Amino acid sequence: MELMKLEIVTPNGVIFDNDVRQVTLPGSEGEFGVLPRHATLVSLLDAGVIEIVKADGKEVAVAINSGYVKVEEDKTSCIVDGAVALSGEETDLAKAISEAKELLKKAESSSTVIAAAVSKVEHIGKSL
Amino acid sequence: MANLKEIKRKIGSVKNTAKTTNAMKLVSSAKLRRTEELAKRSRVYAGKLTELLNEIAQKMQKANVDGLDNVYFKSVEKPETVDIVFITADKGLCGGFNAHTIKRVNALIAEYKAENVKVRLRAIGRKGIEYFKFNNVELNDALVGLSSSPDYAQAAEFINDVAASYVNGETDRIVLVHNGYVNMITQEIKQDQLLPIDPSKLELNSASTSELEVEPDDDDTLLDALVKRYIEYTIYYSLIDSLAAEHSARMQAMDAATNNAKEMVKTLTVQYNKARQEAITTELIEIISGMESMK
Repeated sequence: MELMKLEIVTPNGVIFDNDVRQVTLPGSEGEFGVLPRHATLVSLLDAGVIEIVKADGKEVAVAINSGYVKVEEDKTSCIVDGAVALSGEETDLAKAISEAKELLKKAESSSTVIAAAVSKVEHIGKSL
Repeated sequence: MANLKEIKRKIGSVKNTAKTTNAMKLVSSAKLRRTEELAKRSRVYAGKLTELLNEIAQKMQKANVDGLDNVYFKSVEKPETVDIVFITADKGLCGGFNAHTIKRVNALIAEYKAENVKVRLRAIGRKGIEYFKFNNVELNDALVGLSSSPDYAQAAEFINDVAASYVNGETDRIVLVHNGYVNMITQEIKQDQLLPIDPSKLELNSASTSELEVEPDDDDTLLDALVKRYIEYTIYYSLIDSLAAEHSARMQAMDAATNNAKEMVKTLTVQYNKARQEAITTELIEIISGMESMK
């Protein structure tokens, strides 16, 4: 399986820096998936959820409020304002989910975008 | 004897001062460590943001024959009005930290005045505000509290106001001056042109940028958002940098003060011992001469 680098940077530091198989990003023009060797692209990101398929096949999700992404063939860098990782044990997860909802509700996006993102976070909470 | 008592009192007060300055030094070094950590974390973000801005600007530069036509990149040959944004500390007792910044701001004002450019000052930090108020220099903005606890939202609000006056043509250039952190013992005055962003400063590299796709594909939307974020972050980062420098400057100043106080205690103790010896000798002489006269 081909891999690419993914980096997620927030003002509080790097929260994700690893090899991944695939990543799905909430672009301002619509959600899009990125696989290795994607054409170079720069996009605004809206409030939403970044879904990551890690090198070992496990899935991780990160809720963000807004930001930018730069996609290169072998590397994807996300520059986001605020992010909450949705992973960990059950108790941590519940806390992370409520934090993520809080973050999304404060985002400066249209209400439909936020509502969609919040329901996605809830869905992830149930499926994990 | 009055002299003895006085010296003793002095020693006590100097010792107390040394205790205070030493405590301040310790507080500053702890705060410095925290601020340094904050600076380190946000440096990565700042670096990435600048990189991205560079690439987008380059792409647009290539797309347009006569360079960038975005308002944020339009350079003015002869500016009519220049805004100087400067950051000082809210508190003193940090050596020449604030004085250095003020000195540079004054030099800048003189420089622009010589060219008949109107200068507007925007101050962050109590010390700078106090100085210019005392000298009856008008300040367009005066913000207290931000430099001792940098807050992204507040910094963004402040700088967006400044940027707005740039966009609507009130000012042609925005310069940012602050005293930055280099290492534990060195601070350095940093002066940056915030707006317009100098296209010549952007590094030209890889040819691949021409193939860069942009979403939303209306270039200006992305670039505007990016520039906005860039200046917001620049000011925020400068605030952190300035805070780190302030703490390191205060650490140094307080270290020097503690040493001086200790030195002073030493001299005073010597003086005290001398005075005491003198008193004893005088007493002895008095007793002896008294005995001599009784013979």
